[in-house]
Amino acid sequence: MAVSTFLGLQTALRGILAQQRALDVTAHNVANASTVGFTRQEALLAPSAPYAYAAASQPGQLGTGVDVTEYRRIRDAFLDVQLRAQTMRLGSAEATSDGLRQVELALNEPSDTGAASLLSRYWAAWQDVSNSPENLATRQTLVQSAASLAEGFRTLDGQLATLVTQAQDNVAMTLAEANSLGARVASLGASISDALVNGSQPNDLLDERDQLLDRLYELGNVTVTSGAYGALTVTLGGATLVSGTVASTLSEASFPPGGLTSGKLAALRTLRDTTLPGYRADLNTVASTLISQTNTLHAAGFDLQGLPGGAFFTGAGADTIAVSGALLASPGLVAASATGQPGDGARALSLAGLHTTVDPAYSLLVTRIGADAQEAARTLGNAEVLVDALASRRESVSGVSLDEEMTNLLRFQRGYQASARALSAMDEMIELLISRTGRVGL
Amino acid sequence: MLSRSLLADLAATTGRLARIQDKLSSGKELQRPSDDPFGASRALQLRAGLAENRQHQRNATEAAAWQTVADTALSQVGDLTLRARELLLRGANGTLGTVARQSIAVEIDQLAEAVKAEANAEYGGRYVFAGSATLTRPYAAGLSDAYAGNTQTIVREIGPGITLDVNQAGSAVVGDGSTGLLKALRDIAAHLRADDVTALQGPDLQAIDAAHDMLTNARAVVGARTNRLETAIARLGAIEESSQLLLSETEDADMAKVLIDFSTQQAVYQSALKAGAQIIQPSLMDFLR
Repeated sequence: MAVSTFLGLQTALRGILAQQRALDVTAHNVANASTVGFTRQEALLAPSAPYAYAAASQPGQLGTGVDVTEYRRIRDAFLDVQLRAQTMRLGSAEATSDGLRQVELALNEPSDTGAASLLSRYWAAWQDVSNSPENLATRQTLVQSAASLAEGFRTLDGQLATLVTQAQDNVAMTLAEANSLGARVASLGASISDALVNGSQPNDLLDERDQLLDRLYELGNVTVTSGAYGALTVTLGGATLVSGTVASTLSEASFPPGGLTSGKLAALRTLRDTTLPGYRADLNTVASTLISQTNTLHAAGFDLQGLPGGAFFTGAGADTIAVSGALLASPGLVAASATGQPGDGARALSLAGLHTTVDPAYSLLVTRIGADAQEAARTLGNAEVLVDALASRRESVSGVSLDEEMTNLLRFQRGYQASARALSAMDEMIELLISRTGRVGL
Repeated sequence: MLSRSLLADLAATTGRLARIQDKLSSGKELQRPSDDPFGASRALQLRAGLAENRQHQRNATEAAAWQTVADTALSQVGDLTLRARELLLRGANGTLGTVARQSIAVEIDQLAEAVKAEANAEYGGRYVFAGSATLTRPYAAGLSDAYAGNTQTIVREIGPGITLDVNQAGSAVVGDGSTGLLKALRDIAAHLRADDVTALQGPDLQAIDAAHDMLTNARAVVGARTNRLETAIARLGAIEESSQLLLSETEDADMAKVLIDFSTQQAVYQSALKAGAQIIQPSLMDFLR
């Protein structure tokens, strides 16, 4: 059985078409060279089905040219997994570090205006009162410095409380972002499934979905399970966010206990529920120690009139601490004396001695916050470096290199030219056959 | 990819520049506790220690001023006592006439009043010889020599946990109506008026010598305290200086180092920009026809 004369024409045409498609893909890559999240694509060429001819003497297969089998996204799934794991750590580290930096700003230590220096001034004022307990001016100074110390405590506690509220707002906003990402992943899922069912390759939709997933990983610990026809099941913190084309709206109650372990959401929740309340509790302990010990000593002392002292501070903790109104109005009521004599400042001296219990407790709180913030900053630095490195590696795999695209452009252009040359060679051959043969007798 | 790492590197360099800029403008190595948590807590301790130290210096200076007032008063009383002893010796002379003794008695009474006036010495509105009843005048003018103060001590803290008594009770220094210098003076005046030469030569002389010993003792106490305070002030000053140095080492930026870091980072930043500008520009397109 003979092979058709026109087979060569068809083969050359396939070459022309395939090179054209490859050129199209290259042009698409170049056009998207600076598109965020774009994955470099490649037209995968493969020989088309061979023509089997069974001549008795020469059995064999004849090549019939080339076909584009697939438009492939150049993506390393393993890099995606690595990058997303680090993105999750980065999201968590960023939220923690941001929160703690604000705590540090509120703390304002070491400085000449923080609570530590207010404490120093307060102790010095007691010593001054002990030096001249008869003097109303020193007592006035003491009462004023105690009032500004109390205000310092209240302000710091108030700022911490504001940070808790901010963390709460952030949790809500982050959840809203996660939900909106989930909804978009679900709706993209529908389009992707449609395209895949129809046998086409929705590369750009897949890119968009991958980008959404990248962002989702920043927010929490995410698992992604692929199903048939590109359907994805996405869970966030142990709760199902997307199931195929259906997105759920998550609230804080959706997460199973211990489900949310990493990412921005988990970090914000830890900040809100553990870290900040812990600092507030520590500050509260410092303040309540100051209140109770001062009041005990003060009540056992005597004021300028020789009468027993009342409460020096009112309130129970950092949020309510204040100097007793009676003392503010008449500082003569400060019980500086241990015996009731106006010249005796022994009680004031023992009150000044309270600094040995209060100062170290406060300094410990500052150290704790500092160490936490330092740790968070270090984690953030690490995560940034890793994410940068992995993003660069992914970019080197999936990103568009203009040099490479230019080379491809040349390659496919030449391929196209050569296929066209093959076509004209065939044409000349057939022309020879048609116009020069069979002319015997003409 | 190149542009990405270039951007990351530039951002890192500007971050470092900003940190150095912070240090330069504040002069502080420690901006936040997280810069060095241990250093920050050390800085807090040093600051608290410094404030305490300065307060102790104030306390010691104040106590020293108190001692000066007390010493001046005691020295005056000492002079008055010596004068009284002189008068006593003159009055005890058996050849002296009654009228002369009467006039000596008058002067002795005046001396007693002067002693009480000195014992009412004040420092900053407080009576220094009244015990802790510093607002009560210890001795009233006139014939009554009763001591209105008390014998409680007043203390000053001049170091962590180190206290010093600053006062002495008037009754222990010049006595009251029944003991001490004042009693001796009143006895002398009475005996002079009564021409009791025996008493004047015997018990009165002993009494005034004993009172003078009491005074000398009180001045010795004041002197010893002044010495202790001066030592304490010098020591506190030295401690302040070294704590200040330590605080500065912990907290302050080493300007020479920071400035060198600054110019290094600036050079790094400029070369990164320059290299970036040259690397990013060319592509294969420049070389294809």
